[in-house]
Parts: sequence; C-alpha cells; structure tokens
Amino acid sequence: MTSTNPKRDRADGDVLLDVRDLSVIYESAGAAPVQAVDDVSFTLKRGEFVGLVGESGSGKSTLGFALTRLQKPPARTNGGNIFFDGSDIRELDTETLRTQRQGGFAMVLQSGMNALNPVRTIRNHFMDIFRAHGHVAKADREARAAELVRKVELDPSVLARYPGELSGGMRQRVSIALALSLEPQLMVFDEPTTALDVLVQHAVMDTIQSLQASENFTAILISHDLGIVLEATQRVLVMHEGRIVEDGASRDILERPQDDYTRMLLSHYADPRAEVVELPGFPARRSGAEPGTTRPRAEAGDAAVVTRSVRSADSAIVVDGVSKVYPPPRRGEKPVRALDDVSFTLEPGQSLALVGASGSGKSTLAKLITGIEKPTQGDVRFGDVDVTRLRAKGLRDLRSNVQMVFQDPYSALNPLHTVEYTLSRPIRNMTDLRGDDARARLHDLLTTVGLTPTETFAQKLPHQLSGGQRQRVVIARALASDPQVLIADEPVSMLDVSLRAGVLALLEDLREKWGVSLLYITHDLLSARLVTDDIMVLHDGKVVERGVTSEVLRNPQDEYTVRLLDAVPNPRRLREDVA
Amino acid sequence: MTSTQNVRIPTDGAADGAVAATSRWRSFSRTLGVVWSNGKARVGIVILGLFVLVAIFAPLLAPYDPKDTSFDRNLDATGAHWLGTTAAGEDVLSQLIFGARISILVGLAAGVLSTLIAVAIGLSWGYLKGFASEVVGFIVNLFLVIPGLPLMIVIAAYLQNGGILMIIAVIVVTGWAWGARVLRSQTQSLRGRDFVTAAQFSGERAPRIVFREILPNMTSLIVGSLFGAATAAILAEAGLEFLGLGDSSIVSWGTMLYWAQNSNALLTGQWALLFAPGLCIALLALSLTLINFGVDAVSNPRLRDGKATK
Amino acid sequence: MKYIAGKLGLFVLTLWAAVTLNFFLPRLMPGSPADAAIAKLAQNGPVTEATRAAIEAQLGVPDGSLWEQYASYLRQVVTLDFGVSYTFYPQTVSSMVSTALPYTLILVGIVTILAFVLGTLIGVAAAWKRGTWLDSLPTLSGSFMSTFPYFWTALLLLFFLGYVLHWFPTTGAYSATTTPAFSFAFLGDALLHAALPALTILLTSLGGWIIGMRNAMINTLGDDYVTFAEANGLRGGTVAIRYAARNAILPNLTGFGLALGGVVGGSILVEQVFGYPGIGYLLFNAVIGQDYPLMQALFLMITVSVLIANFLVDILYGVLDPRTRR
Repeated sequence: MTSTNPKRDRADGDVLLDVRDLSVIYESAGAAPVQAVDDVSFTLKRGEFVGLVGESGSGKSTLGFALTRLQKPPARTNGGNIFFDGSDIRELDTETLRTQRQGGFAMVLQSGMNALNPVRTIRNHFMDIFRAHGHVAKADREARAAELVRKVELDPSVLARYPGELSGGMRQRVSIALALSLEPQLMVFDEPTTALDVLVQHAVMDTIQSLQASENFTAILISHDLGIVLEATQRVLVMHEGRIVEDGASRDILERPQDDYTRMLLSHYADPRAEVVELPGFPARRSGAEPGTTRPRAEAGDAAVVTRSVRSADSAIVVDGVSKVYPPPRRGEKPVRALDDVSFTLEPGQSLALVGASGSGKSTLAKLITGIEKPTQGDVRFGDVDVTRLRAKGLRDLRSNVQMVFQDPYSALNPLHTVEYTLSRPIRNMTDLRGDDARARLHDLLTTVGLTPTETFAQKLPHQLSGGQRQRVVIARALASDPQVLIADEPVSMLDVSLRAGVLALLEDLREKWGVSLLYITHDLLSARLVTDDIMVLHDGKVVERGVTSEVLRNPQDEYTVRLLDAVPNPRRLREDVA
Repeated sequence: MTSTQNVRIPTDGAADGAVAATSRWRSFSRTLGVVWSNGKARVGIVILGLFVLVAIFAPLLAPYDPKDTSFDRNLDATGAHWLGTTAAGEDVLSQLIFGARISILVGLAAGVLSTLIAVAIGLSWGYLKGFASEVVGFIVNLFLVIPGLPLMIVIAAYLQNGGILMIIAVIVVTGWAWGARVLRSQTQSLRGRDFVTAAQFSGERAPRIVFREILPNMTSLIVGSLFGAATAAILAEAGLEFLGLGDSSIVSWGTMLYWAQNSNALLTGQWALLFAPGLCIALLALSLTLINFGVDAVSNPRLRDGKATK
Repeated sequence: MKYIAGKLGLFVLTLWAAVTLNFFLPRLMPGSPADAAIAKLAQNGPVTEATRAAIEAQLGVPDGSLWEQYASYLRQVVTLDFGVSYTFYPQTVSSMVSTALPYTLILVGIVTILAFVLGTLIGVAAAWKRGTWLDSLPTLSGSFMSTFPYFWTALLLLFFLGYVLHWFPTTGAYSATTTPAFSFAFLGDALLHAALPALTILLTSLGGWIIGMRNAMINTLGDDYVTFAEANGLRGGTVAIRYAARNAILPNLTGFGLALGGVVGGSILVEQVFGYPGIGYLLFNAVIGQDYPLMQALFLMITVSVLIANFLVDILYGVLDPRTRR
C-alpha cells in the first residue's frame, strides 16, 4: 500500500472484524420472511485469509453483503453487531460509511462481468474512485491506475477500453484492481470466479492468493466450492441454513471435520487421477477395469427393459470429419472456427466423455449431433440416417432416438407446466401409448428416476422441486421416447455438490439397465471419470487427446489435459501434500 | 377486468385434464395477487369497476334520455340538471353517463383486437429467424414511427362518416405495433430458454411451442399491453370524435366536447360541459394506467421490491 | 461509423416505405375524392355527367397505370410540387405547407425537447429518492396528467387562463394588429400566443417521460455496476448520474423516438383548439374541406419530420452508447 493509514497503525489487538450474534432476515411483500443469516458470530484477525463455504441458500452471500453494509431491501439486519476495527459499522451514517470504504472494507461481486459500467472506460472507473476519496494526488492517479491493473496481471492499455471490449476474466481482474485501489483492510470476495471458465477460474484464484500475500489485506472468500476454499485459505467457516456449523483451520477441517455437514461436503471430492474413485452412493470404479470396451447391453427381465419398443437395429452415431465455422461475431473480424475436423463414433451402449473448457466446441458438437445446427463440413450419421439433411419431420424421428439432458434444470422446465404435463408430451408425440398405457409409462419414468411417490411428484410444478429433483424430471423426459442415445450437456454443473452424485449415479444406472449410450459433455473431469468409459478432450475445436477415461486421466499426454486436471479443486490431494 | 380473459390463450381444446387448468388458474390468481397488492393498481381497479358499472346500468342511472332535446338550452347546474344542459337542450349528466358506454366499448374492442394482432405478430416475429424476421421487423418499426393520430385522421377522412366501427378499425390498424414490439423481445428471450429446445426434443411442433410453451409465460406482458392499447384507444377515440371525424350524432365524451366547443361553451362559461367529459376520459385512462403499475410489477420484480421498503 | 451508415440506410428505406404508403393510402380506400366531392354536390341537387367530368378533371382523377401514377407521384414528392389546394384555390399546397411548417416545428420541437429533458431529470430524482414524496408526487401527478386528452388540457387552459383570467390571447399565432417581422414587438406577441399551446404539450407529455425514466433508472439501480460503485464508496451524485442515470437514458431515448409520433399527433389537437396556424390546424382544415392534395402533403410532411427526428435520436444514441461504436 502506498499511502499510510493512521487507523492501521493503531495497535488495538489483532482482531479486525468481530461479528456478534448477527441475524439477517428477508422480508418480501406477500411472502413469509426468511431468516437467511441466523445468529452468526465469528472474529477475523488482521492478515487472515478466511473461506466462507456453503451451498446455495445457505446465507453466505447475504452474510457477505451484511458485513460490507451493501445489503438492500428486502434484506434487513435484525440482530447483532459487526465491529470493524473497533467500531460498530451498523451505526455508521451514510457519509461516514462512504468515506471509510477507502481504507476500510471492499467487496468483489460474484458477477464481475456486470460489475463495470458499460458506458465508462476502465480509466474512468479508477478516476471515479480517486475523486470520491481523494487518497491519490491528482498527478499520480494515472500512474497509480496503471500500477493497479498491472498488479492483477493486465496490460495498462486496458485503461482506455470499455468493459464490453474485455473478456469475462479480464473484467473480473479489473474489478479486483478497483477494489484494491481503495487500499482496504478487509476484502470480501463473493464467488469471484464462479461465472468464469475453469481454466480462467484457476488463474484468477492464483492472482487473488498472491495479492493477498503481497498486499497483506485481510480477506474473506465466499464460495460454494469447498475444494477451492480449502486450497486458497488458512481458515474455513462452513455455513448451512443460515448458521455457521464449523469454524476451523483449513487443515483441521480437512483432516478432522467435526460437523456432519462438513463431512458430507468433503466426501464429494475426489481426485480424478486416483487409482480408485469413490463418491457417496456411487460404486467404486477401479482403473483398468474393462479397458476400452463397452459393457454388454442388459438382458431382458428388468422392468424398464420390458417396456422398450422393438427396434429395427442398434445404431451408432458416427461423426466424420466435422468442422463448424460461425460467421464473425462482429464485422471486420475473423470467422469463428468452433470445430475443426472432428471424427468419432459413439457405439450403442458406449459412454463417451467430451471434455473441454468453454469455447472448446463441445456444446457445438451436441447441437450438430441433434440436428439443431448443420456442420460446415463433414458428416453426422445416426445409423443410416444423415442427420445433416433432416428437415422438421425427420428431426422429430431422430429425436425419438437421440435425446438431450440440459445443463440448467431451472431453465429446462417450463415453470407453468406440471411434471405430468411435461412428461406426457413426449409420450404422446413419440410413442403409440395412449390413455392408461401412457399414464402407466409416465409413472414408470418417475419411478426410474427415483421420484416417488409418483402420484405426488406428477402434480408438482417446477418451482416446488429442488434442483436435483428438477434434473431428474429432465432426465425422465429425455427417457420418455425410449431413446438409444442420451446427450447430457453439463447435467450437474448447476447443482449443489451434494446433489451431483445422485444425478450421476442415475445416469450410470440408466446406461447399465437401459443400454442407452451416453455422450457426456463436461468440463468436470471427476464426473467424467465416474460415468464414462472413454474420453475425448477438445481444445479450440480440435480433439487433442482420446482414449480410455481412467487411463487418460491417470496418465494425460496432452498439456491441455494436464491443465484441466490441475484446475480441479481437490482437498484430498491437498491432504496428501500435507501428509 | 372481464377484458383480461379475452386475450387469454386460444386454448386448443386438447383436454390435458384438470391439472393444467388448475396450474394455470393458480398462476393467474397469483398474478392477480401481485397486481392487487400494489396500492396504485387497487385504486385503478376500483375506478375502472365504477365506470363499468355505470356503463352497464346507464339506463337506470341516467335521469333523462341523453338525446332528449326538450329542455331549456345552455342551462347552468340546477336541481333538475345537476350539470346543466347543452346548447341543443340535452341533459349533460345523462349524456355523461351514457358516454361511458362508448369509451368502454371502444377501449375494450380496440384494445382486445390490437392486442390480438400484437400477440400474433409479436410471437411469430420473435420465434422466426432470418430474413422473414427482418421483414416483419421493418414493417412493425414503420407502423411504430408513423405518427398514429395523423394517420387515423387521414384514414378517417377518406372513410367518410364511418361511425364507431370505423373508429375502432382505424385505431386497431394504427395501434398494434407497440405491443408487437414488446411481446417480440420477450418471445426472443424465452425462445433461448432450454425449455423451448426441450419442447422440440419432446416432438412438439412450432405452433404448439409458441402457444403452449412461450405464450403462457407472457401473460402479464400481454395484459399490460392490453391495458396500454385500451388507454391509447380511449384517448384516440375521444380525439377523433372531438375533431368531428366520427359519427357526431352518437352520445360519447368526445362528441360532447366537440359540440361544446362548436357551441362556444367557452364563451358562455359553462365549465361543467367542458370539464366533466374530459375528466371522465382522463379518469378512465388513469384507471387503466394505474392497473398497469401493478401489472408491470408482475413482469419486472425490480419495480415490485421497492414497495417492501415502505 | 458503421452504426451511422446502417441507421442511415434504414432511414432511407423507411422514408421510401412511408412515401409509398402515402401513395397507396387513398387508392386503398373505397370511393375516390371526386366521388366524395360529387356526393357533396349531390346533396344540393342532381349532378350532370358534364359536371362530373369537369370535377374529375379538376381534381386530377388519376389516369394511366398504377406504375405511371406512382412515378409521377414520386416526381411530385421529390420536387415538392403537390399541386393546388382545393379549398384555398389558387394557392399551391407547397406554399401553404411552408407557411405553416415553421410554427409547428418551433412550437412542437422546442416544447418536446424541453419536456423530455425536464421529465428525464424529474424521473432521475424520483428513482433516486424512491419511496419518498419526491418519487410519489411526480409519479402520481405525472401519470395523472399523461392520461389527460391533449385537447381537454388545451380547452381547460384556454378557458381558465384565456377566457376567465384573460392572461393569454385565445387564438392565432400573433395578434391581427401586428404583421410578421423580426421585431421585439412581434416576437413578444408570438411568444405570448404560443404560451398556452406550449404549456398544454408540456404538461400532457411530461408525465410519460418522468415515468419512463424513473422505471428505466430503477432497473439500472438494481444492476451490479451500481452496487459495485456503492461498494467502492463513490459519491451519491456520481452513482446516480454517471452510473444509474447514464445507462437508464439509453432505453429512455429509444422510447422518446417512438413516442414522438404520439406527441405530434397530440399537437394537432392542440393547434386546432387554439387556432394555431401550424401543420395540425392546416390538416384539420384540409380534412374538413376534403382538400385531398393538401391532406396528403401534410401527412407526408408530418411523417417525414417524425422519421428525421427518429434518425437524429438514433445518432444521439450511437454517440451515447460506446457499444455501438465497435
């Protein structure tokens, strides 16, 4: 820090932040009040880097906003005190609060991409802050701004740009630099990397960690990902349903978690490189088992299999030399080559992982296979059908055999339709079942995806279901037409960690019992290890590595695969390092 | 409020059981709850309800026949004629009461018709892609920028004395574009949602996707544009009548003001004759605008949450 | 630059479409102007074939194919030669329009911009002070005023300020005793005559701009960059103006362009009430006198003015939003 802060030199003990019995309530008109933060107490020493972990709805972000006094109605603090540097910030008037944001507490928001004013240059963002607080002399402002963006590993030329001209990762770095320009004693990072791509996430986290060490601010890292937090911080607070259920050193939490909830969270982490990968509710998968081969289709006798309609022949999906070029996003730029000469075959009953960071072309491939888009070059065939030439009628026929599981269960279900309606449509459109048969089929599907009692779930609307339950409905809908191929595009990435294993186990189960072949698209190598036999790594539209999943992950050849593996947060690996 | 039911989804008759109906009814009543919870909207609903009642029971409420010219002319307010009489010797209060019928009829008919057009064009425009969408977009923008009232005046001038139906037709032709634009952008954003793609994967055809998946998610916007269109229609009708471009023999608030101006009510100082019809038009339009404050809050939660701070 | 070129292309295309619409409008209507004129005469007695032929010739009943008619119409538009007025024979339509146009352009143009600026400022204040009287007072009175029919506001102002209080003249653009000239006396007189029409348009259109800006700004106030600006301790004024309002003005500007047509329409009614000799008053008289050439030219003039205004708004938008510059 260049300027000196008299407050900081005051030696009044080590404690910077002292939160006592803090409670925050949400009071929306026409809804029951929700106690989002419930009687929370903790203290923070100067220079500490503390993680605040919880799943969605745990109240962790609400707590972060309360600590920085940024909360807005309908949220309201309804109890407790927050002592920052000895004084209660709940009593600060607006102007004192504003001025003490310089040299006090700063916050980096979750959606860093939207945290910048689209009509102001980056330079103006810095100047606004310098003008507001006057802590940097006019003559030094330009140099200081350049110094700050360099600290977050950006080139000073970004100062002249508008936010819309920067990538998501760059924008998040800019907002970190802006928060840093306040020379704060406390920095609160609210899910600073969640909206970013995996590899970018990793790089931004590295920057945050090294800044914390070099600038020596006290920091709170709010995240849903215990793995990330354990890797970055020295101490972790675990939050569950508005309360802090565990507060301890990162190492202790890793080795001796005290709370059941923490233990449950921890159990969902594993190293995709390990010999044996095991998650709760998931059978252990040994490496080297059935290398390169696909499992035999399940034999008749299973209830679900009996209901299958008779099929002409099992058909493979063949992708042959496919390229896809999109027109340039803006005039004067180069066309975007999303896929470049990709070939592979998805055999009946096979499960194949398609892995890559965002922009690697993996979702484009899904669109080509399902006929949503046409390739620029190359062939996509399903059995003897040329997918690239299908029109409306042919596409409907194709989709009774090739179905899709979507990424976001909150957007994949029409909020106004009941589960029954949602499931009855594909049954009506793509099977011959009518009346009681159709109804029986619907309840079979719900049973298959584990939504019992089926009568109750059939009547529910999406907003009455949890994320995991919604994703099960999405899977049931995909199964309704009794497809041969299931394409799952990041099916668990929007779910809380604790719900992921269940959905993955369901997919695995379906493949074994129904003999559905699975194309599993993901950036998450751990889940790929769990549900697939074979893997294909995509980078910039090209296949850079392929092979048996367990072998590729344990012994990656391509540098890009290695980087993806390194980006997987894994507390257990940390534990091994420690030991 | 009966008008809201009229724009509701053209149900395609496929009886998907009572379940879908209850869920839609539930979401409808939830919507109604949000609207009612808005103080401004509540006032609007009450005012609109009063006008509708007055229009329905006009023959019972009006003291005289509105076209009865047998009274003394240009009377100021008296015990027998609370708001005085016109230059032709008609009772102003009776005319005012019967005038509500025309305004509500025009507002309802023109509002519903132009909203139907807006829904049809807005949804197909939003769902289409490529050149067809560009062409529709150009036409909608053309109708948006061409000034509505002058166009109405010119059309009305060509269609000599077409009466109230002509006025409704002219308002509909010139008034659908705004709603189409609003509904189109919402359609486009819903179209990108996974549940629409999922419906394609469930084997649904385009019309059913548009009307059963997308449209029900826009109910509040459609109701909003209905009230907006009705407000504009009521004001436009009054304007055309005031210019003498409608059928000046009917009793409406616009024609009352037309005759008032032509008979120099300004000079005779009969303020009630000038004041009352205009106030009624303004109050009726206001009631719809106020209801729309509540409807806006349904489709835009940011406009709603602020109420909680009060 | 590409943005401006694109908008210019769209403007030219829209202009052509509007001109063409104006051509087809009378041709789509049942009956012809000549029929209407003859029907008018017929009320006084039977019309002979000779009279009919004379009227049709005088009214320039179109002959030739539709294409030839369209070509000659386009020639008229380009040369601004719209023929001779029926009702004000032998004045040309062009000279009548050019006499009336400045009154409307100045009155409606200045007042509309004034109302927009004023309404936007009030809307910013209302959104920033949401939930206080500074919000509810302008929002409620604004939405009330904007539901007033233009002509009713005009009548009320005319009645009370003109006839009852005699503060303002009741008709015309200047006193009958003065002649148009660039003198202070004339300008003062003209301003006094324009005051009531201006006040009417201002009062009636203000509410819409207030509410539009308020709602747009309430939206931007909920955006993350505003929260982040607050987290960085920027001054309230900076956050309100440079962050929230600066972004809210963009959608509001689009709304301004699209609502212009409505204001221009309203001003026709206002001019009629005040006998203000602008485009609207002329249009009204053309309609009453069934003066079709005049009517058609006036409608075209109004449409083109609104199109130009919209084009200028688009350009302004491009200046204000860096995202269009790429």
